[in-house]
Amino acid sequence: MKKIFLVVLLIFIAACKQDKKPATSDFEAMSWEEIEQAGKGKSVTMMMWSGDPKINAYMKNFIVPKVKKEHNIDLQIVSGQGAAIVQLLMTEKLANKSASDVDLVWINGETFYQIRQIDGLYGPWTDLIPNSKYINFSNPFIGIDFQQPTEGFELPWGNVQMTLIYDRQKVQNPPKTRAELLEFVKKHPGTFTFDNQFTGLTFLKALLIDIAGGNNALSGDFDEKKYNQYSAELWKYIKQIKPYLWNKGEVFPENVAQMHQLFASGELWFTMSNNDAEVDNKIAEGLFPETARAYVPDFGTIQNSHYLGITKLSGKKAAAMLVANTMVSFEAQLEKMNPEIWGDGTVLSLDKLTNFQKNAFENIPQRKFAPKRSEIQDKALMELAPEYMIRLADDFRKEIINK
Amino acid sequence: MGLRFNNKMNNSKLFKGLFLAIVVLPVASGLVYAFLFSLGIIGVLNKGFHWDVWQTVLFDKPFWVSFGYSLYVALLSVAISLSVALTIALSWQKKLQKGLLSNVIYLPLCFPATVMAFFSFQLLAKSGLLSRIGYQLGFIKEINDFPVLIKDAYGMGIIFTSVLLITPFFIILFSNLYQSEKIASYVNLAKTLGASNRQILQKVMVPILLKRASITIYLFVIFVMGSYEVPLLLGRQNPQMISVAVLQKIQRFNLYDMPQGYAMSMLYVLLIMLILLIIYIKNSNLFKTQNS
Amino acid sequence: MRKKVLQYLFMLSIGFPLAFLLLLSLGRRWSFPSVFPQELSFVNWELLHQSDDRLFQTFFLSMAISLVVSLMVTSLAFVVSKEIAYSKYRNTFLFLAYIPYLLSPVILAVIFQYFFIISNLTGTFLGVVIAQFLIAFPFGVLIYVNFWNKQIKELENLSYTLGGNRWQTFRKVLLPLSKNAIVLCFFQVFLISWFEYGLTNLIGVGKIKTLTVSVFNFINEANIFYAALASCLLVIPPMMLLYINKRFIFIKR
Repeated sequence: MKKIFLVVLLIFIAACKQDKKPATSDFEAMSWEEIEQAGKGKSVTMMMWSGDPKINAYMKNFIVPKVKKEHNIDLQIVSGQGAAIVQLLMTEKLANKSASDVDLVWINGETFYQIRQIDGLYGPWTDLIPNSKYINFSNPFIGIDFQQPTEGFELPWGNVQMTLIYDRQKVQNPPKTRAELLEFVKKHPGTFTFDNQFTGLTFLKALLIDIAGGNNALSGDFDEKKYNQYSAELWKYIKQIKPYLWNKGEVFPENVAQMHQLFASGELWFTMSNNDAEVDNKIAEGLFPETARAYVPDFGTIQNSHYLGITKLSGKKAAAMLVANTMVSFEAQLEKMNPEIWGDGTVLSLDKLTNFQKNAFENIPQRKFAPKRSEIQDKALMELAPEYMIRLADDFRKEIINK
Repeated sequence: MGLRFNNKMNNSKLFKGLFLAIVVLPVASGLVYAFLFSLGIIGVLNKGFHWDVWQTVLFDKPFWVSFGYSLYVALLSVAISLSVALTIALSWQKKLQKGLLSNVIYLPLCFPATVMAFFSFQLLAKSGLLSRIGYQLGFIKEINDFPVLIKDAYGMGIIFTSVLLITPFFIILFSNLYQSEKIASYVNLAKTLGASNRQILQKVMVPILLKRASITIYLFVIFVMGSYEVPLLLGRQNPQMISVAVLQKIQRFNLYDMPQGYAMSMLYVLLIMLILLIIYIKNSNLFKTQNS
Repeated sequence: MRKKVLQYLFMLSIGFPLAFLLLLSLGRRWSFPSVFPQELSFVNWELLHQSDDRLFQTFFLSMAISLVVSLMVTSLAFVVSKEIAYSKYRNTFLFLAYIPYLLSPVILAVIFQYFFIISNLTGTFLGVVIAQFLIAFPFGVLIYVNFWNKQIKELENLSYTLGGNRWQTFRKVLLPLSKNAIVLCFFQVFLISWFEYGLTNLIGVGKIKTLTVSVFNFINEANIFYAALASCLLVIPPMMLLYINKRFIFIKR
């Protein structure tokens, strides 16, 4: 019996004693051609959320062959998002892993914040890639992520705005303000709710900004005093509408997917999405009724971007940069914005493109059921500092769920 | 002869050692990891050794509520499953050995928890299949007349799904045991001694089957207590079952909540082991299925 | 008669979830109060093919992993469980066998991850097999333990007394007696491995793409029709295996 323990112990010790070679090289001193040389022919692993067949198809049919053709890179897509990415990078760091299992990650605000907390991202690198000069960094909705400067640690990939989705057949005049929403749910109890995760919190953030006095009222770093003051009002409001929410507000859909299902089956009259083009996608998929429409209430909704990051422990940073560069190229961004492909907003600045390219973007087939971006742009709210979301999530439990 | 005996002893030791290495070592190492993490000794964001996390977990309500709720769901689910499985296994004894039923009964085992939870949701939600049929037949007039069966206060949706998941397994187990324990012969014996059908059921069949299956029964109580996918989809945010509560701490927005999640899982394991130990010591017969 | 009707009803209710899922997988738009989806077509099945055309490859990889794991567990647990069942410390061993099931595999995965990373097993076939083996093995032992009883031991001893060697005793005595247990164990472990998502995805870092890993995401996403489709893809292969398995055993009988 002792022998076996000894063997197992030995395996562990042997495994721990792997050599640790630093995977960093000085890319800043290299020209793009040298980076291309260093990266070509490698295989790159990208971790991303993969619950949408449209997005998967875009990656598989467009991006993967493109990087193979351009740089002979084998791009492998693996499934994982948010917390799973943070968890993996954190444990790899703790275990002193020499080269991460993942090179490229698809992230946004809260994950960016968490990975920066554990120092899991490589950077700055975004200035090194040639296509970054077309990216609209001066647009605060793209260049700033949850009030955090991206500082070259993540590359904007797409841009979306939250919308509320309703069924036109059941709701003629969707509520546009907090007061109207209260009135509406009193009249039609059980038809409105929000989910217990990211999307619901983004909705709460929009309400919090509205209470605090609109856009920019809460911009900048987390402000404890402001938070306490306005969140108290927010909870007061939520408690007012709570009895009229779905299932009397005793329970919330666990995630946005469940909320979509309840909307599709007609149990809910509203759902919401962090992607303004989603209503088109979901009608095309045959999930939502064709009478579903998206809108942005007068108090506005949050617009944000999603990004690409390279892991600090990646052994293939050059190749990862090549892939990222391709993903923000004109062709890739154009394809991605087509509502029939994905419908994700571009991060490129149209002013910096050639006339031909600009035309191509302007002539993308229009969304049928979602509002035009230009119509909702002036109701776009900036993301708040990540601490707001963490606190809202905690207090939502304390103030609403546990009562 | 002596050589073979020696050989056998060595094999026996080897196998037992193997068992410990496979079963105990990994989980024990994992728990040590969780324990160190919860004390702030390891971790990327750790701030050094402290007991705060344990204090929160031990003295605040949420952990105990989750624990009690998990226990309630598990005990009720297994109790319902057992009664259904015993009824079916005993009354359809012959059919379960041969014929169509003996094949079909294995099919439900092919449903993983997530798929079953998805099925239950589509069946039992207010806008689910049952509610639609009820509407078409005129039992309900509008969607909100249908009772709340999922995400309800008593965990009915979770219990329903757990019963669906584990009952077929018990039916198969009981029907196998019925054969291997030669229950039919005991029944005959009892009959010749003049026992009534009811007596045979209560004094012979059920006790033997339950006793022989006790190990598996405990296992399934533990399974259901720790289940994650089903309560995530069909449960409430309050009260939460233990796995959902732990994962919420480990994989949500606040990285500083992670040690709490680890402490909760550690405490949970210790508690269950303690309970098992008490049951074992108080009533060692329950554990023993072999009369040696 | 009533018994027969009840039995058929019971069998129908067993088939019902699969039929319901199949129907939904063909559906589009299903709003209250229609009992059936408003449109039925094969569009969903085509789309899945579009978004991942390596389904066949993942199918065989899944098969390989599950078969390796279940063969390992079925055979090793057989001999180990026998030692344990007849051991003085039987109850202590059984008590220990519960431990891996105290925590949901999702949580186990998180606390195992560190050890798999330091032993460089993440993202490898071997790593996934080991991880699944770890959670399936005690289950195998617990299933078998029920079947080692006094009679079997007596029969085994009888076989030795009559001059049978170990192999003969195994082939002619133990195997026929424990066939049901072996089938149940193999099948259950196969299923545990086949459906394992949390641990496989975390330890395999998504690089070991089993069928479950590649379609599981759809089950928890918004589109119930894709979810139903993914469920069918997961559920049907083990059902076919079961059919073959059962046939095989019945013919041998």
